[in-house]
Amino acid sequence: MNRNNIFIHLALALVLILVAAFAGQLNRMRKQWKTQVRIVPTEGKKQAAEATVIGDAWIPRRPEVLVKFKSGVSRSAIEALMRRFNDRIEDRIEHAPGWESIDDLDNADAETTVAEYSKLPEVEYVEPNFEIELSEVNEGNPLTPVLPHDPQFNEQWALANSGQRGGTQGADISATLAWATTTGDDDIVVAVLDSGVDYTHEDLATNMWMRPSGMAPYEDTELGTFDDVHGFNAIDNVSDPMDDNGHGTHCAGIIGAEGENNLGIAGVNWNVRIMPLKFMNAGGFGTTKDAIEAINYVIDRKKAGVNVRVISASWGSTMKSRALEDVIRKAYENDILFVAAAGNASVNNDRSPHYPSSYNVPNVVSVAALDRNDQLARFSNYGLKSVAVAAPGVDILSTWLGNQYEEKSGTSMATPVVAGVAALILAQNPRMPVDELRSRILGAVDPLPVLKGKTVSGGRINAAKALGD
Amino acid sequence: MAISKDGAVENARKDLANRLKIDPGDVKESSVEDSDFPDLSLGAAEDGEMSGQMITPGWRIRLEAQGKTFEYRADKNQVRLYKFKGKNYRI
Repeated sequence: MNRNNIFIHLALALVLILVAAFAGQLNRMRKQWKTQVRIVPTEGKKQAAEATVIGDAWIPRRPEVLVKFKSGVSRSAIEALMRRFNDRIEDRIEHAPGWESIDDLDNADAETTVAEYSKLPEVEYVEPNFEIELSEVNEGNPLTPVLPHDPQFNEQWALANSGQRGGTQGADISATLAWATTTGDDDIVVAVLDSGVDYTHEDLATNMWMRPSGMAPYEDTELGTFDDVHGFNAIDNVSDPMDDNGHGTHCAGIIGAEGENNLGIAGVNWNVRIMPLKFMNAGGFGTTKDAIEAINYVIDRKKAGVNVRVISASWGSTMKSRALEDVIRKAYENDILFVAAAGNASVNNDRSPHYPSSYNVPNVVSVAALDRNDQLARFSNYGLKSVAVAAPGVDILSTWLGNQYEEKSGTSMATPVVAGVAALILAQNPRMPVDELRSRILGAVDPLPVLKGKTVSGGRINAAKALGD
Repeated sequence: MAISKDGAVENARKDLANRLKIDPGDVKESSVEDSDFPDLSLGAAEDGEMSGQMITPGWRIRLEAQGKTFEYRADKNQVRLYKFKGKNYRI
């Protein structure tokens, strides 16, 4: 190499260094500008967000993402992740428990940041930040949490756990996210096989099933004709399924108390049709024979054209009945899911079965109960082979007799949560066969260490996952 | 009509006296405790009976007679005899 070539190479190197330094300075300036832009008062942010509405479309304004961390991920762990990715928490999202708004300080676009976070084991969901007002329903944005205005919704930790009353933030079924996809469908009928339902309750009346005017009254070859306008009563053959205990009304509210009606609570489904079936008396107990008659009624109505796809059964005993098992199998053959309480004796159902939840029939989903801290309820039965999933079942607020609301606990309360999720799935996939429906439910859980070895799925039901969100 | 705690104890005392064929005065009240039962049959289901799986508050009533202790379970709706000679009874 001659002396001229050396000078040319040195000059080229100097130019490259200067270009790199200038680019770096530009990048720093851009970050400073971005940071200044982001430090705005909350009110200002809201106004800016509102200004992004063009017609019905919502335009993402900032390359931020919304992240929902899994329950149990501590603040310090989240802050460590922020440092690792050179990000920062811009805001905790009001009314959306567990969600954080994350600001990427490297100015990566939202899609890149979403991809980055979606790989983390600590993260449950991540999505671009489409700015909307969180308290409003926006069905056009499928992955944005949706909050109802029902006045006691903030007590419904099972649907949205913000850590209220000593609970764990995010220890819920992710209902608010599921509702961005669907809040239910009044074409889906869920049979509540129980002590009846107070079908006049102001938070239930809209969502109650009634026999279609063109459908003939129910006829049983042995029992005669029933005027089943509101459902079926197997106890007294009068066929008024009005609840005189409260248990069935409570379960019905968990499945489908009307949402967004400015009354009381919201059900897992805001819209659904609840078919009341009464086989338990005012004391809350009934006979196997009457349970069988009520299930036969459901199958008959299904054959007559009623789209009843789920039976919610928050009851049981330790006594096995071949006749009951057979009629549940008949329901399976008619494409009906049977969701059943695992029982409240704190025992392992694999060793001490509880029926009907322990019947080995393909449509049975046995449900254990969790408390507001994602712990197995102290009373709940469990079973690695015989209990399918767990759902919230302690201090559950729902509808009660006389337009009242009460908190109750039991696998009775966990069962309609799962029945409700099944109805949401069917609202989205009306023709889904019962086998696929059951598989979808068992696959749509948040794994919990406390359930390892205790249930088939090892997790808490997650409504959003069940909808494929 | 809702059953009171005192009413439940009285019903239990009469039931036990009747079963043992003794005078109600020979039945002693050992203890009456508030208790949460696992279901709506108070954890004392009769044969062939199914019950709502909801935690149910009530009273655990222990009575003594003929040198033995007998357990009754009650709530506002019912009184039950728990494992009397191996079986449960709703009274």
